[in-house]
Amino acid sequence: MDLIRTNLRELRKSLDSKEISAAELCGEYFKRIEAVDPELLSYITVTKEKALKDAENAQKLIDEGKATALTGIPLAIKDNICIDGVRTTCASKMLENFIPPYNATVIEKLNAEGYVLLGRTSMDEFAMGGSNQTSAFAKTKNPYDLECVPGGSSGGSAAAVSASLAPAALGSDTGGSIRQPSSFCGVTGIKPTYGRVSRYGLVAFASSLDQIGPICNDARDCAVLLNAICGHDRHDATSARVDTPDFTEKLGQPIKGMKIALPKEFFAEGVDDAVKTAVMSAAHELEKQGAVLVECSMPGLKYAIPAYYLIACAEAASNLSRFDGIKYGFRGEGRTFEELIRDSRSRGFGEEVKRRILLGNYALSSGYYDAYYKKALALKQEIIRQYNQIFEQADVILTPTAPTPAYKIGSQDSDPVKMYQADICTVTVNIAKLPGVSTTCGYTDSGLPVGMSIIGKRFDEQTILQCADAFEQGFSPVAPKL
Amino acid sequence: MAVELKTIQHLCELSKLDYDEEGMKKVMGEMSDIIDLMDEIKDFDLTYDDTKDGNEIRFGDTREDVSEESFPTDKLLSNAENTEGCYVVPKVVE
Amino acid sequence: MSAYFPTMGLEIHAELLTISKVFCTCSAEFGGTPNSRCCPVCSGLPGTLPVLNQKAVEYIIKAGYVMNCDISRFTKWDRKNYFYPDLPKAYQISQMPRPVCLSGTVNINVNGEDKVIRINRIHLEEDAGKLVHDDVNRISLADYNRCGVPLIEIVTEPDFHSADEVIAFIEKIKLLLQYAGICDCKMEQGSIRCDVNISIAPKGSTELGTRTELKNLNSLKAIARAIEVEIERQEELLESGERVIQQTRRFNEQLGETTAMRSKEEAHDYRYFPDPDIPPIIFTEEELDEIKRSIPELPEQRVARYVDEYGIKKADADIIVGDKRVCDFFDAAIAQYDNPKAIANYIIGELMRRINLGEADMDALKFGGAEFAQLVEYMQTDKISQANAKTILREMIENGSSPKDIADRDDLWIKEDNDLLAKVVDEIIANNPKPVEQYKSGDQKVFGFFMGQANKALKGAASPKAIQEYIRKKLSE
Repeated sequence: MDLIRTNLRELRKSLDSKEISAAELCGEYFKRIEAVDPELLSYITVTKEKALKDAENAQKLIDEGKATALTGIPLAIKDNICIDGVRTTCASKMLENFIPPYNATVIEKLNAEGYVLLGRTSMDEFAMGGSNQTSAFAKTKNPYDLECVPGGSSGGSAAAVSASLAPAALGSDTGGSIRQPSSFCGVTGIKPTYGRVSRYGLVAFASSLDQIGPICNDARDCAVLLNAICGHDRHDATSARVDTPDFTEKLGQPIKGMKIALPKEFFAEGVDDAVKTAVMSAAHELEKQGAVLVECSMPGLKYAIPAYYLIACAEAASNLSRFDGIKYGFRGEGRTFEELIRDSRSRGFGEEVKRRILLGNYALSSGYYDAYYKKALALKQEIIRQYNQIFEQADVILTPTAPTPAYKIGSQDSDPVKMYQADICTVTVNIAKLPGVSTTCGYTDSGLPVGMSIIGKRFDEQTILQCADAFEQGFSPVAPKL
Repeated sequence: MAVELKTIQHLCELSKLDYDEEGMKKVMGEMSDIIDLMDEIKDFDLTYDDTKDGNEIRFGDTREDVSEESFPTDKLLSNAENTEGCYVVPKVVE
Repeated sequence: MSAYFPTMGLEIHAELLTISKVFCTCSAEFGGTPNSRCCPVCSGLPGTLPVLNQKAVEYIIKAGYVMNCDISRFTKWDRKNYFYPDLPKAYQISQMPRPVCLSGTVNINVNGEDKVIRINRIHLEEDAGKLVHDDVNRISLADYNRCGVPLIEIVTEPDFHSADEVIAFIEKIKLLLQYAGICDCKMEQGSIRCDVNISIAPKGSTELGTRTELKNLNSLKAIARAIEVEIERQEELLESGERVIQQTRRFNEQLGETTAMRSKEEAHDYRYFPDPDIPPIIFTEEELDEIKRSIPELPEQRVARYVDEYGIKKADADIIVGDKRVCDFFDAAIAQYDNPKAIANYIIGELMRRINLGEADMDALKFGGAEFAQLVEYMQTDKISQANAKTILREMIENGSSPKDIADRDDLWIKEDNDLLAKVVDEIIANNPKPVEQYKSGDQKVFGFFMGQANKALKGAASPKAIQEYIRKKLSE
């Protein structure tokens, strides 16, 4: 069976028509993983044995005619989502041998559908980064150019889907970690509205910003996968008590009359011309389909990077304090508690994680709290206000997903400030708790994908998926040659 | 603005992180640059009102007080150095 | 007379009587084998999230009402960050700028004088785990069963100027929390704990001195003693021209001294910030009213009711209400036998006397108020003599049988056996000509002698009334 960029609906048909069994299907993916991944490094752990068991159970459901959308479908899961009995490392030496004794809620939901786990995808350590180069175990490469980064932090998930080492994957997004690698790897990824998907079992980076979401071949698959994982969860007080619509419902509906806002600050200097051109030509494509382009402004964007990093790192500093070598994870040496914890943390965490912990504690420490952390919270309120204002005159907002396409490994990752600034297009969506989907809107001359983001109102994933799908229907993606 | 050594040392104390001399030098430089970037937020002069975040829940949305079976102790401790059903901690010095 | 004047404020932690923990569904009950009342949430596994227990919120609101606090309509939760092996997340979920309750008052009575203590705030937080130190192997063993048990912290204003006031206040708080059904207040199990902030200043001074914080106070006795020795210590310092250093001190009960805790208290920077996992809560007036209405009758109201409705003496009502267990026992008793005065008298005169003597334990009584009421009823209706009632009560305390079964078994009923009565009294009169003569010559006091002799010989076979009548009749013959 041809796996290259095969979508979930096609796989469903093949499984239901018994053209292929669930075991055969995951077997095909493992073959491809074995052939391609030694070079690509998108997986940290491949769970072949478990997959065969999963597939057997799934096959029973299929044979009994009880299959649902994801029964027997192989998926890759980012390595920061806890799976009972399956090593979950967060790409950190700290959790190298951590085997969670419980399942994340999204995993429970996927289990209920009878999915098949292919393995755990690499990421930036503790989801902190945009290149996958802070991973302690698998510094993933870009499937379109192995000398380039895949983006991050869900770079493993995006690269695996892009290279057809999984038909779809789960990632997590705190400041762009689903959308930016999706853009770099030429796939479609959605960060749902904050609260749409339970965070229970997602190893926290920044609790007020983190959200799990699908990375797929197209918007339609994103809708299918989002249907399976969304919903209020009694284990997550921040999961929203809102209705969960069928996210595939509006797909294919014409976008005639849809108002698409283009905030000018997102197209300002610092954004590559190739990116601007690709996104603007996509905008005109949508206009041709009947959408109305609306000019607008988001002046708060210029403070977005510090606001985001102050909030995210403050929360991270606190969230990562629990890693002390006592209860789980890397246990260093020390004759006293104090010595043990310092040694465990100093040797267990990588440099970027440590920097963010230091920054977070700086923002929260006495004497700095008001000037930094509280200021960031004020800015958060202002950014929300500015988004609300734009949504008074538009249905969705269109921006580049990243200021540049994938860059060369080693070209940026030594400069934290430059790395942080590269998140400018994505972080405000997390700050404002909005849904955002990134889809490929073109390729650079050297063949690297360029992504655009469609941002929606809170809990209006339906409309952004409809819009992304409308574009995708008239676009021919190019798969990487791997 | 260069951040002072004692500030970084204080942050290391709060964070329970140690650096060797060279690492400290490097991180000081990086933190100075990062803090310069963060300082841009100081131009922004709105104040934060914590009652206006709009993320409150109602009293009735909290969890009902029902207890459920706890977790098997051995499974809970499976990632830890343990003895007699307890986590092993080196001596705490006060 | 000391030239100094002490000022104190309290921080009281009380564990709430919820069924489950504050942020997960593990049992909040005291005890259990180590780490048997734990789950991924309360043991701080990565990825887990807290979900707030409604009952814990309801209880702190009740605590606020019984201490006359303002209840915030908007409240939120914060993280207090510090590393300690009994705190698995390395932060305690607590409340900083927006506690549930603010500015209340509690009335106390010290040596007959009424005084008002102001409450600064009450907030909700989670308890930490327990460390058992193994000095031989130089390790500590961490048990997280207590992790996540809901606590309220009551912070008072610095309104105390003597240990007596502190003790009276804690006793009052214990009663209020017990009657409101919020906390069982067992100091020995740590379900209520108290830290004392204490400073002294020269008499007449309007400024407060530098304070120290006393911790590790496990009983009222320890608190009173610790305050006393700390005041002395501070006085000695000031007298010798030294100054008091702001620090946390631990009370060593055996040595009767306070010692500075070697902690980096000054370096502590808890970096409080709003917990992003727990949304703030808003309350409606209706919700708060409903909680307020559900508060059971409080001690002061109960005393008033006992005095007004049952005609019990105020002093007696205070004694009964002063111990919730006794009070519940009293209520159960009067539900069985509607004679509150007689029951109150027998509780205070007999049951509590035995408890004070150590013969009985209120926490482990083998009989209930209903059985006790039956005994009082038998006495009041002349079915059992007072002497036999005492015997029966002792048996009840020891073995828990019902008064009827004991009386049946040991033949302790008053039988109104007139023949036996006549025989016994006639004999006594015949054998004691001298007292008979005394009585007849007008010495009424000697009557008691005959009653005593008859009671002793009859062993409850006749009622006191019958005995009295018969003796009187015979003596006037």
